[in-house]
Amino acid sequence: MAKQYDVLFRLLLLGDSGVGKTCLLCRFTDNEFHPSHISTIGVDFKMKTLLIDGIKVRIQIWDTAGQERYQTITKQYYRRAQGIFLVYDITSERSFQHIMKWASDVDEYAPDKVRKILVGNKSDDVEKRQVATEQGVKLAMAYGMDFFETSAFTNHNITETFTRLAEQVLAANKKDLDLLRISLNDELNLTALEEEEGLCDSASGDQQKACWC
Amino acid sequence: MDQSVAIQETLGKEENCIVAAQCDILLEDCSESRLLGLVECAKEHAIFIYTHRRMAITADDVSLEDIIPITLDFAVVEVSSPEQLVVVGADTRVRMSYKNEKLELRLPFGSHSRFFLGEVNKAWSDVCRLPTQVPKFEWTKKYKKSIKRQEATKQAIAPLEVLSTKNNQHQKIEKVSDKKGSLEKVKSSNSISQKSKGNSSQDNQSISSREERDDLVRSSSHTASNKAQILAMPQFGLRDNLIRCELLKSEDSYTYLENFRFFLGTYNVNGQTPKESLRPWLSCTPDPPDIYCLGFQELDLSKEAFFFSDTPKELEWMKAVFEALHEEANYALVKLIRLVGIMLIFYVKKEHAEFISDVEAETVGTGIMGRMGNKGAVSIRFRFHNSDICVVNSHLAAHVEEYERRNQDFKDICSRLQFRQLDPTQPPLTILKHNVVLWIGDLNYRISDLDVDSVKDLISKNDFETLHSYDQLKRQIDVEAVFVGFKEGEIDFQPTYKYDTGSDKWDTSEKCRIPAWCDRILWKGKNIQQNHYKSHMDVRTSDHKPVSSLLIIGIKRVNPEAYKKTFEEIVRNIDKMENECIPSLSLSKREFHFKDVKFMQHHAETLNLFNDGQVPCQFEFIQKPNESTYSKPWLTANPSKGFIAQGASMDIDLEVFVNRTTAPDLNCGKQEIEDILVLHLERGKDYFISVTGNYLPSCYGTSIYSLCHMKEPIQDMPKETLLELAEKSPNDDTATDEKPLDIPKELWMMVDHLFRNAVDQEDLFQQPGLRTEFAEIRDCLDSGMPDSLPGSNHSVAEALLLFLDALPEPVIPFPFYQQCLECSSSAGQCEKVISMLPQFHKNVFNYLAAFLRELLKNSANNRLEVAILATIFASLLLRSPTKQDFAEKRKTQEFFQHFLT
Ligand SMILES: Nc1nc2c(ncn2[C@@H]2O[C@H](COP(=O)(O)OP(=O)(O)OP(=O)(O)O)[C@@H](O)[C@H]2O)c(=O)[nH]1
Ligand SMILES: [Mg+2]
Repeated sequence: MAKQYDVLFRLLLLGDSGVGKTCLLCRFTDNEFHPSHISTIGVDFKMKTLLIDGIKVRIQIWDTAGQERYQTITKQYYRRAQGIFLVYDITSERSFQHIMKWASDVDEYAPDKVRKILVGNKSDDVEKRQVATEQGVKLAMAYGMDFFETSAFTNHNITETFTRLAEQVLAANKKDLDLLRISLNDELNLTALEEEEGLCDSASGDQQKACWC
Repeated sequence: MDQSVAIQETLGKEENCIVAAQCDILLEDCSESRLLGLVECAKEHAIFIYTHRRMAITADDVSLEDIIPITLDFAVVEVSSPEQLVVVGADTRVRMSYKNEKLELRLPFGSHSRFFLGEVNKAWSDVCRLPTQVPKFEWTKKYKKSIKRQEATKQAIAPLEVLSTKNNQHQKIEKVSDKKGSLEKVKSSNSISQKSKGNSSQDNQSISSREERDDLVRSSSHTASNKAQILAMPQFGLRDNLIRCELLKSEDSYTYLENFRFFLGTYNVNGQTPKESLRPWLSCTPDPPDIYCLGFQELDLSKEAFFFSDTPKELEWMKAVFEALHEEANYALVKLIRLVGIMLIFYVKKEHAEFISDVEAETVGTGIMGRMGNKGAVSIRFRFHNSDICVVNSHLAAHVEEYERRNQDFKDICSRLQFRQLDPTQPPLTILKHNVVLWIGDLNYRISDLDVDSVKDLISKNDFETLHSYDQLKRQIDVEAVFVGFKEGEIDFQPTYKYDTGSDKWDTSEKCRIPAWCDRILWKGKNIQQNHYKSHMDVRTSDHKPVSSLLIIGIKRVNPEAYKKTFEEIVRNIDKMENECIPSLSLSKREFHFKDVKFMQHHAETLNLFNDGQVPCQFEFIQKPNESTYSKPWLTANPSKGFIAQGASMDIDLEVFVNRTTAPDLNCGKQEIEDILVLHLERGKDYFISVTGNYLPSCYGTSIYSLCHMKEPIQDMPKETLLELAEKSPNDDTATDEKPLDIPKELWMMVDHLFRNAVDQEDLFQQPGLRTEFAEIRDCLDSGMPDSLPGSNHSVAEALLLFLDALPEPVIPFPFYQQCLECSSSAGQCEKVISMLPQFHKNVFNYLAAFLRELLKNSANNRLEVAILATIFASLLLRSPTKQDFAEKRKTQEFFQHFLT
């Protein structure tokens, strides 16, 4: 049942400082939440294995510094990513405005076929909401991305968001993967058998071909 | 028969034929048999191609035709071509290519070909692993002369158009396409290759696992490329094994048992061809079995079968079997394997086929010389749902008294028969390691200690129980001499050997053999029940009767939901472990501020790194893209890389030092004390460390031109003015409103100080000053206008030299340097060059020369000499834009001497 191979993807969390990138990652990989903001100064990563369509997908999630002064350096990490989370904070209009800038940096520095997903975090904090869900939906639509409102605090939509992006990256790399699949032992084994069945079926009644098809 | 022996005889001492395989070379309209030998010498491998007599036994039987060295240019891929019918279970077709030659080969199906290709691939991967070691293949040269290529092969080794030779590493599996063809077509092609029908997935598997290894090689050698972003990661084998182990441990939580009906049959056919329907044997159950495992012995007793493993009987019996399978279900052939006359056929009900995987088949000969295939066993292992099953069909040693030999054969088979694992790191799998072992065959155990008549008497009374107590196999099992742990159902049928062929009559020949239960079915494993165990008297083709048993076996099926849950739980734990093993440090400080940095003043701060992770870690400050060093030139981290054990810590000194190279841009404000260091942990994260500070501009490292335009100390100048001045051309004197100074005031202050205090000073410019005094002099020049400078004469003298040294453009600007060298011998010419210098530079030059001449006037007191001053000052005034050699140095001194006398 388990396949013989793994696929590794790199996903990148981007967005202003304080939108909750580190918290999203922490919730997803360790199911923990830390209320204090210890700003990420650098680039951190964690591993996570997902099972998608029976394929073991290992994702390496990179958490970057959101502070503006590090952006010239963090940009250099974009090109290694196959998928990118553009994160804003629904309680911060400003962080939402900045998504435009993040997205244009991604266009400039990330590989062409990188998959993106828009994330509005802190959905639990309804009282301080400054960005309406519709605004997020609209922006995502304009960019042709999927959109999730999440809460690292309540664990709302976290797995869904990460899984969705991983699925999209998987789909986007389908062609390369199919090549891999061909080298997949059990897959081949099955196709061989299927061919055999078909042959024997059509051959039934025809004695000469019955065995040799 | 191992044909590598014959090849070995043709080789040199150092050369070693690792493995040989027979194959067919596919030519345009026919195929010819060849022998391939994988030959190794001095860690280099080549494939030797021989024409041969049918079975090569000595060197005389083979003749070398070609050698293909295994280098990076070598490739072997599986191919299919449209006109070639491809049958599941057919032979492996491969294309070997080397540079622009290609060769299409067909290898007989089965483990040996697979092994051969595996070894070839191994050799090739070794080459790929060390691509820098270019193989020489000196040792093959001696053969080149003797190679006489036959016309036919020349055709085969045609220029290559199809395969892109650019990068042979990127082989792709061309998928086997199936196309129907007629039986005749198969027959007409080469005999060995069409031996039998089995399952090509075996061969495909070997190719694909090679491919997987190739991927490994590829991804390791192309890490930089963006293509490798999606990695096949067999290198994470450890992790996979961990998952596998954990899954195995908790198998019960996601599997449940379901019963399946296994029909096992064994039949010693005594070399006969099928003459009657096998239905009474194979369709004797009311319901169709799920799986058929049928063993035959003595399929063909001819010499051809023995020596060449070539028999038409295989096909005949296969057809007979296929026609006799239960009518109420459709069956797919999964595998057929044969060793001389011992054959095992494995059919599965169509709907179960997709749950069969990891099929492997092997043979072991225990016959003549303990190796040959007239006796021995064939075996197929497979995974059905989540259960691993191994079926063995054996034909053990004959003759009544040889029961110990039979015991030995059993043991040999168990130890020598090994299945290759898909995962090359795993040890080979043996029969007894399987959950379920089904053992059938002509085991050849006889009835002992009873004469023919007593035996026949017991049979006629149907007293099989008593007779069974004389059965050698029962007795040997009872004393645990053989088949330990195996079970056999109660025997309620008369002995199956030996009858007059075509009848139910006991052997009437001279030998008049004692009847015996030669043909048996045993099993080992849990959750197995026997539904029937019987012989089939109405099948009369052979001198044996076929035997069958229907076993109801509890097979572990996977509950996908539960499996997913278990799997996720396992990977969650492993991910957690893995994340905990990512190297990690804690840093004492993330931001460093250096206040009031001055020229040539050392500033340092300490960064403490503590390894708070669970693994030792290797750290290094790495450069940012588009930068050639990890930090700005005025900043260093000491040490800049290192190793910190778990729980240990290390101090890193962050040092700021502005020298004459970095000062100019900092003075004018083009650069600031600002940098971000990237501290990278191997296999881990990156930390950013920000360094900020302010720099106090200095006359040191500021241009003559700029200084001449500053009436105030440099530190009192507005920042904008400094930048403006720095951006102006030194030749451009017009732009300023105010009249500039003739020479920098700082220079004047130092020279004037020396002129007033040091004309009689001995060792002037030769004895070093004090560092602290230099700092005071610098600060004085940069921030104030005192009447006299602090410090000793030597310190002021040194400060003057440092000033000249730090000038971004020397007193004689770089563009004049070459000219000065050329005219160094002529005083007149030298003066002419000086007259052409930009105004401020000319002023400075003349001022300094005059001052030095003044000093020389007092040489009686200060002991200065022209040569000394020329040496010291020439190197400061006349700096080479590149590196100066000794001859040039001499010339600069010669040049300057003209101005000192
Ligand atoms: N209410 C609420 N607070 C959150 C949520 N996610 C994060 N926070 C808080 O937001 C603050 C910032 O979170 P971080 O994850 O550290 O922010 P970041 O995006 O990693 O910031 P930088 O590392 O500086 O780029 C923290 O105080 C978190 O507790 C959330 O879903 N709901
Ligand atoms: Mg963070």
